[in-house]
Amino acid sequence: MFESALCQIIFYVFAALALLCAVGVVAFRNPVTSAMNMALCFGLVSAILFGLGAQFLGIIQIIIYAGAILVLFVFVIMMLDIKAEEHSPASWLPAVGGTVVAAVFAGMVMSVSMNLPGAKDGSCPAKTLWDNIGELSLAPQPQQAEAPAKVTRFGGALPALSPAAAAKALNPDIAPEQAANATTYPDVKLVGHTLFTQYNIPFVILGFALLSGSVGAMALARKYRKD
Amino acid sequence: MIQNLPWLFLLLPLLAAVIDWVVFRKCSKCAAALSILSVAATFALCVAYLCGLQTGTPGIYTWMPVAAAQLSLHMGLVLDPLAMRMMLVVTGIGLLVHIFSIGYMKGDPSNLSRYFAGLSIFMFSMTCIVLADNLAMTFIGWEMVGFSSYLLIGHWFDKASAADAAKKAFITNRVGDFGFLIGILLTLGVFGSLNFADMGAKAAGIAPAILTATVLFLFCGAVGKSAQFPLHVWLPDAMEGPTPVSALIHAATMVAAGVYMLVRLQVAMGEAAFTGTACNVIATVGAITAVLAALMAVQQDDIKRVLAYSTLSQLGYMVMAVGLLAGEAAMFHLYTHAWFKALLFLGAGAIIICCHHEQDIWKMGGLAKRMPLTVLCFLMGTCALIAVPGFSGFFSKEAILDAALEQNPVFFWVGAGVAALTTFYMARLCLVAFCGSARAHGAEHAKEACPTMLLPLLVLAVMAIISGYGFAADSLVPFEGFHAHGFALGLPFYAGMGALALGLLLAFALYGCGKRSKDPLSGNAVSDALRNRFYIDALYDKVIIGGLQEIVAHIIEFIDAAVIRGLLMQGSAWLTARIGLLLSYIQGGSLRAYAFVCGFGLLILIFLLAFNL
Amino acid sequence: MIPLAHYLIFSGLLFSIGLAGVLVRKNIIVVFMCLEMMLTAANVSLVAFSRAQGTAGIPVYDAQVLSLFVSGIAAAEVAIGLALIVAMFRSRKSVESTELTSLKD
Repeated sequence: MFESALCQIIFYVFAALALLCAVGVVAFRNPVTSAMNMALCFGLVSAILFGLGAQFLGIIQIIIYAGAILVLFVFVIMMLDIKAEEHSPASWLPAVGGTVVAAVFAGMVMSVSMNLPGAKDGSCPAKTLWDNIGELSLAPQPQQAEAPAKVTRFGGALPALSPAAAAKALNPDIAPEQAANATTYPDVKLVGHTLFTQYNIPFVILGFALLSGSVGAMALARKYRKD
Repeated sequence: MIQNLPWLFLLLPLLAAVIDWVVFRKCSKCAAALSILSVAATFALCVAYLCGLQTGTPGIYTWMPVAAAQLSLHMGLVLDPLAMRMMLVVTGIGLLVHIFSIGYMKGDPSNLSRYFAGLSIFMFSMTCIVLADNLAMTFIGWEMVGFSSYLLIGHWFDKASAADAAKKAFITNRVGDFGFLIGILLTLGVFGSLNFADMGAKAAGIAPAILTATVLFLFCGAVGKSAQFPLHVWLPDAMEGPTPVSALIHAATMVAAGVYMLVRLQVAMGEAAFTGTACNVIATVGAITAVLAALMAVQQDDIKRVLAYSTLSQLGYMVMAVGLLAGEAAMFHLYTHAWFKALLFLGAGAIIICCHHEQDIWKMGGLAKRMPLTVLCFLMGTCALIAVPGFSGFFSKEAILDAALEQNPVFFWVGAGVAALTTFYMARLCLVAFCGSARAHGAEHAKEACPTMLLPLLVLAVMAIISGYGFAADSLVPFEGFHAHGFALGLPFYAGMGALALGLLLAFALYGCGKRSKDPLSGNAVSDALRNRFYIDALYDKVIIGGLQEIVAHIIEFIDAAVIRGLLMQGSAWLTARIGLLLSYIQGGSLRAYAFVCGFGLLILIFLLAFNL
Repeated sequence: MIPLAHYLIFSGLLFSIGLAGVLVRKNIIVVFMCLEMMLTAANVSLVAFSRAQGTAGIPVYDAQVLSLFVSGIAAAEVAIGLALIVAMFRSRKSVESTELTSLKD
């Protein structure tokens, strides 16, 4: 219970801080400050991912976003020696317009999220997310004949992670008592397992995308000689 | 297989033209050799056929099949004596002209491959006319000779007068061809077929008025191509082309195509189809042309133009003979005229070259001493033209005068008068150019022509003498069953002799022995009118180009300015520009505006999706 | 006990802040950062759903792999995008989005 409470506090604090940093990214005029705020924001987001039990993605978030991408940003800012954005009197219109659009968007997302079935009272609706979306969308979806197996809880606690089930999933031949003995949850192993079995070919294709991306980046950023 | 051999007549020159143009563009020697080879081969083939080679009926190629079978366009060859002997004239003179061209065009800076390709394509087109077994094919060849004539008149296209002459020839021919086309369509409607072979059987059942109209429309084609009054204006200008071209196309063969076509129709439809009215019109047009052209020739100074008007006048003779239903005499004269007029033109060409491109006879003189052989050949041609007894022209002219006397004495006297005029202007030409002493630098240094030019001259001179005699004419005149009559001492003979004597006497009296340096007839109103071709060209310039064309141009200009430029071009441009201006607000070019619109669209999408309105 | 809805709200807010940044800022580099932020927001909701949809104590790893792919593509995109920005800076001596008007002119 205590652990759960701590988790809650950590989530809300980190979420608030992450949003604050995100506002900082938008609000600060100096791009370097924006970049630093963004690094902080990504760190906090990765903490939230940790809280969700996705350790691997949390680490990736730090390594890729906070590490590689942010460094690239800062590098480019330094290289191009970009100064702080000058305040121009004519810029209030896009600023206000953009804020209004974003605010309306936020309001919509919040109202949708809050009004999802069971989101307020913590009860557990016996419907899948897809059914809900089908209900919400413009076109009526055909009713599914079979009762949905998976249940999405928009309210209430998220389902707990089970190390025993994870051990069983990784090694189907494992003895039940041995599985029951497992104490840690092998998130990285499971992500790797999924990635290299079910999503092997997409993963390879992603590798090619990255390769062509880096080659393209070199080609684009190359300085062409005048001749 | 073997029965399709005659198609080589068409294929060889066409192939030569294509290869000359595509492959031998840069190698004028190869082009000349190939063209000469193709003509020589067709000539040999022609001789073989005339010597009795039999290959059966050549295959007929259906060019444009149409459901209604009689409307289908066929390509067929007709190999009767009329066609084959005409082919002999065409290929024979063609061969000599090709050979002459080598000498004549030597050192010419223009592209000789183009020249020889033009000659070959002309041979192809002319063959197409001569061997055609239907009017559609004739028409194709008809247009093709017009085209090749255009190419060859305009061979020196960088010279403005040559380019203009080419254009004039082409456009004037178009006028005649328009009538010809109407005539062909009428023929198709009236006879139900364009095949010459089918016409004779059907001619009897057709109303004379319709027949007259058909024949006269077809005659329009001959008026254009054979340069009859009133469309004669292009032929003298066509002399801007190289002289061998004038010899081949504008004297011996192409201009005779009109006569050939008329005779072919007369044979095919039967003489009955040529009703009295039609015949009168044809004969009158021929007679007018003969007289007018002969009169104009009297006051021309350019050696080629004298010959050109003489050609016009002789063509008038032939057309008159056709109109007098004497197709036989017309073809006889066509045949002798082809030889001696080619001779005269080639001789003129040799003289022009040897006098360093001098064409004015008043700047020649005394050439008989400097280039005796050429002048002798030229004189042979002249004798044939003015119908000195014993020369070929004498026999054919007698034949026409005979026919005229038989049919209508008016035409006979016109013919005799023209003969006198012919004698006068040819004698004038010879006396001024050949006798006396040289009147210009070019003529002083004239030398005998080179062998490639002399050889064709000699051959043609022989033909000019002997082709009228029975032994040559009976087997060579392009007419089925032709038989030379020999001449009889009658009115035509005396009239002809009188004309000859009168012309010679007048010429000697006026021009003496080339002592004068100026035309004694010039300087009065009549002479001016003759020199200016009776102001017919000027009239055409004023009325057709200045009047009619201006009116049409104004109408077209109005349509152009108001409808096309104003409404279609500027109107559509204005509309497009307005719409573009309106739409350009969307395409503002501002990245943030795009992002804003994108975000706004996202909002609307979510609103519609999630709030289920 | 944090319900799924709260993760979704957080993700939505982060996304709209990113959206606001894209719309408001002129500096293309910052616009680009905000785009990355929006991608991260999407990742958060993906992971949250992965957890919520899980059965028998195991999250749906398809969603996590998808978010991994999003990160990978984002990395490639950043490389290309920054190279474009460098090229743009070379030719225009500016990284302001208001300068990108050559299509209009």
